[in-house]
Parts: sequence; structure tokens; C-alpha cells
Amino acid sequence: MNILATALGHVDYLVAVALFLIGAWILVTSGNLVKKVIGLNVMETSVFAFIVTTGMIDGGAPPLVVEGMEGPYASPLPHALVLTGIVVAVSITSLALVLILRVKSQFGSIELDEIVPTDEARGDADSDAVGGDDD
Amino acid sequence: MIDWPHWLPLLAVLPLVGGVLTPLLFHRLPNAACFWAASIAALTLAVAVALLVRLLASGGFGYAVGGWLPQYGIELRFDEIGALAVAAGFIALLSLVFSRHYVARAVEPDRAPLYYALVLINLGGLNGFLVTGDLFNLFVFMEIFSVSAYALVAMARAPIAALAALKYLLLGALSSLLVLFSVGVVFAMTGTLNIEDAAVLLDASSAMPAGLALAGLATGFAVKAALFPVHFWLPDAHAAAPAPVSAILSALVVKAGVVGLLRTLELFAGGDDLLQPLLTLIVWLGALGALGGALMALVQRDIKRMLAYSTVANIGYIFIGLGLATASAVSGAMVHSVNHAVMKSALFLAAGAIIHRTGLRNIDDLRGLGRRMPITAFGMAVALIALSGVPPAAGFVGKWQIALGALEAGQPWLVAVLVVAGIVVLAFGVRVINALYFRPPARVPVASAIEVPASMWLPVLLLAVASLALGLAGTPMLAFVGPAVQSVYGTIP
Repeated sequence: MNILATALGHVDYLVAVALFLIGAWILVTSGNLVKKVIGLNVMETSVFAFIVTTGMIDGGAPPLVVEGMEGPYASPLPHALVLTGIVVAVSITSLALVLILRVKSQFGSIELDEIVPTDEARGDADSDAVGGDDD
Repeated sequence: MIDWPHWLPLLAVLPLVGGVLTPLLFHRLPNAACFWAASIAALTLAVAVALLVRLLASGGFGYAVGGWLPQYGIELRFDEIGALAVAAGFIALLSLVFSRHYVARAVEPDRAPLYYALVLINLGGLNGFLVTGDLFNLFVFMEIFSVSAYALVAMARAPIAALAALKYLLLGALSSLLVLFSVGVVFAMTGTLNIEDAAVLLDASSAMPAGLALAGLATGFAVKAALFPVHFWLPDAHAAAPAPVSAILSALVVKAGVVGLLRTLELFAGGDDLLQPLLTLIVWLGALGALGGALMALVQRDIKRMLAYSTVANIGYIFIGLGLATASAVSGAMVHSVNHAVMKSALFLAAGAIIHRTGLRNIDDLRGLGRRMPITAFGMAVALIALSGVPPAAGFVGKWQIALGALEAGQPWLVAVLVVAGIVVLAFGVRVINALYFRPPARVPVASAIEVPASMWLPVLLLAVASLALGLAGTPMLAFVGPAVQSVYGTIP
């Protein structure tokens, strides 16, 4: 009962956890690489939403120290954290998309079950350049 | 000079700035970029050594970034765990020296400056991760070394590299989000991001959110460290990456996961009800990883995949040590983290030298190479023997201590696990050494191979010698990590 009351008092947290799990589900079960990246983005959004809501105070004022603005203030720190997190997320997403482009051009598909890594693909590209001309 | 306070931030700032400048300054000059990157890495190593000297003289110390005092600002701390930065600088420097000839062939020429930039950024992220005392900062530095590692794996020309890098990225990002989510939970519970401060404020008795945070952090870092059963990204990524990158990934980047777990334990110190199930679990997973990794290594044909699975096995040993939570087991695990880093980077660089010269990566094809490439083969043989834990080489110290810890903790079956895994490791070591030295050449590239240039064999040889020397330095190293064990676990037997 106690846990239920606490949970209902924090619907925002519950939503964040639910979104996180949905994103993780898409990431783990989908065989399409782009869908996996979308799942990752859903997870990222859920974490950011969670962290932003931890800074909220019911009836809290914006954290501005000016005339007529009185506490309690909402915490500004989570916003700064999330801003950093978004930058990280963007860089990961862009890197993932570039890698998907490379996978598509090399294997002709972005569906994991259609990509068959051959022995040839595993081998180092060095193998065609045997012997040394360096030094 | 050694007390100059700003050495500590320089440890992370120097390689990060140097890395960002590399493609800018040396856009079309791969050789100059290599020289530049190696110089920056050497300077970073010098900074790390200076910090180590100060640590030995006067104990751990902190630094308030931007003059904002701890609790409010970001705090950097240099302690015995952070001293891993010395090993990181050393291995990164040797890998960069090794890269000069290797990368010229293994990476597209116009991407070479970018490659050096990413290695430096990776080093900066690792160093920052090792010395930060702030939870969110920990996440940021983790992402710096992770993202640069994903990109470095994709640098290899082999078609499989992009796919391996993508798998690594997806799983790595998932684990990073678990960590970030847990950092958010800890922040919501305590209102602070400083690890020491949060450890005091964290109410371990409120099991639900604290347990959630602990589970998220432990799972996230276990993925980064490639603990069984979340290790499956590792063999592909480490085998597909260019050899110097494999060395850095296997030696250092997976160890960051171990360090992350140590910081987590530090955060939850005192919450025994929460920690005990976790510690029991990681002993079991570590044991499964040690056996499974060693057996998988034994059946590999590709030498780099074999080394990658051997990393899974060694991470297993380290987690057994951490989970046993006795002073000798934990100090053994910490020392083994460093020793394994040195041995495994020697092996990956030697494998890289062989692939560079012959283009062969199948163990059976390497027959007779011991005569053609004597120094590389010698380095590889020495490191393999050291890895299998033959005394007095470096692999022995950690395993001995972990076995002692298992006896102290009343779990003698773990000694059997360690012995069996050690025998399997020796078996694949003997298999490679046998092929290198005692079999006639079967392949044309082997018969015509010549020794690699000095910039490639010297790092291999130095690391191989170090993996012997570290075995002799076992006692001082164990004494050195003692304070760290106490600070992470509190007072333990």
C-alpha cells in the first residue's frame, strides 16, 4: 500500500521507467538497425525526462535571483546535466547512423538476419598487401 | 614543482586538447600526426608519473575544478585506483608508436590523423574517468572514451568492422544509459553528485530506489567490463579493430568498467544488505566468465579472437576477486587489472605485427614464424606464458591472491575454477608457441616474412619485459593498492 501511494505520487517517475523499458525492448528485440537506434533514442529521452523532473518542486519558482522572485526555487542543475546528456546522445546517434550507412553499403541490408558475415568479411584488409615496403 | 596543483586536470585536458588539435594541425601529414600524438601521450604519461610520485609521498589528494569547492563544484581526486592512469599512459604511448607503420596500411590514409586524434581523446576520457570524484562527470568521461572507442573499432578496413562497431555502440549506449539513469536516482535521493558526499548521504536503508541505482550502475559497468554473460560484444569488436586499438580496448577500456564498479561500491559502502547479493552474484558470473572465456579462447582459430576471449576470462578472474571482498582477493583483482593490461597489450601488438607482415591471422598458418620474426614471436611467447600464470611472471600474482582470498572466504571450489581456467589458458598458450617455434612453415607469406621495423617490435618487447618484471614487483604493488581496498570496501578481513 505504501509503495503504491509513493508510486502514484510520482507518476512522472513511473512514466520515465515505462519509456525506458519500451526503448530497451525495441533496442533488444528489433532486427532492424535503424529501429534499434530509435529504441536507443526513446531510452535516452526517458532518462532525460526523469532527470529533469527530479529538479521540479510543486509551486517552485524559476531559479532566478531577481526582485519579486522568492523561494523555494526549482533546481536548475538537472537542466544543465540533461543539456550535456543531449549533446552526448546526439553524437552517439550520428555515429550510429554513419555506421549503419557503412553496413548498408557493405552488406546491402540493415536487417540483422539478412547480414551474413562471411570469412572474407572477417579477414583483415592487410591480407592483400603482404610483405613490407616500409623502412 | 611536483606540488603544482594543476597537474591533476592536465591529466585529462592534455590528451583531449591534443586530440582535438591533431586533425586540425596535421590534416594531410599522418607521420607528423603520429609523432604529435606520441609526444602528447608521453607528456601525459609524465604528468601521471608526477602525480604518482606525489601520491606515494603524501597520500591521495583532490582538486577543485574552476575553484568551485567540492559538493558544489566538480572534484577531481587522485587515489590508488586513479594511479591506473600511469599504465594507461604507458600503453597508449606504446600503441601510438606501434601505430605508425601499422596504421599506414590498416586504415585509409586520409583517416590516419583522425585515428591518432581518437586515440588521444580515448586516453583523455579514460584518465578523466579514473580521477573524477563527481558522478555526472564520471558519465561524461565514460561517454568520451566509449564514443571514441566505437569510432576506433570502425576505423579498420575489414567490412565486418562497421558491424562490430555498431554492435559495440548499441550495447555500450544501453549500458551508459543505465549508468546515467542510476546517477539520476542517486542525485534525486541525495541532492549531490559528489561521490564521497553521496556515499555519506545515501540512505541505504530505503532499499527500493537505492537498490535500483545499485543494480543500474552495476549492470552498466558490467557491460563496459564485458563480464559474462554481457560479454558478447567484445570478441567481435576487439577482433575487428586495428591491432593497436585492440590493445587499448582490451587493456584499458574494459578495465574502466572495473573501475566504475569500484566507484559504485565506494558509493554504497556500508549498505551491506544491498551489496551482499551483488557480490555473491559477481563471484558466480566471474567464475562462469573465467571458465567460459578460457574454453572459448581454446577453440578459436583466429589469433585476435582467441586473445579477445582470453580477455573475457581475465575479466572473470578480476570480478571473482572483487566479489569475494576479502583484502587479499580485492588487492589481487586490482593488481591483476594492471598486469593483465600490460600482458594483453603485448599480445595484441605482437598479433598486430604478425598480421601486418604476413596478412595471416589463423593460428595454424603461423607455423614456423618464430625463425622469421624472432623478436615479435619472443614477445608473444613471453606474454602468453606470463598470462597463463606461471610464477614468477605477472599473471601469477593476481591469481594467487584471488585464490588465497577464495580460501579465506571459505569457497575452495573457486580455487579449482582458477586452476582449471589457468590450465586452459596455458593450453592455448602452448598451442600458439608450438605453432610459432616447433612446426615447419606451411604458408608462403611466413617463409618470406622478415622482422617488423623497430617502431613495432620495440613496444612488443618492452611490454613483454614489463609483464615479467611486474610479476617480481607483486609485493609492493599489493601494498600500494591496500589503502584503496579499505576505502572501497570499508574494513574487511
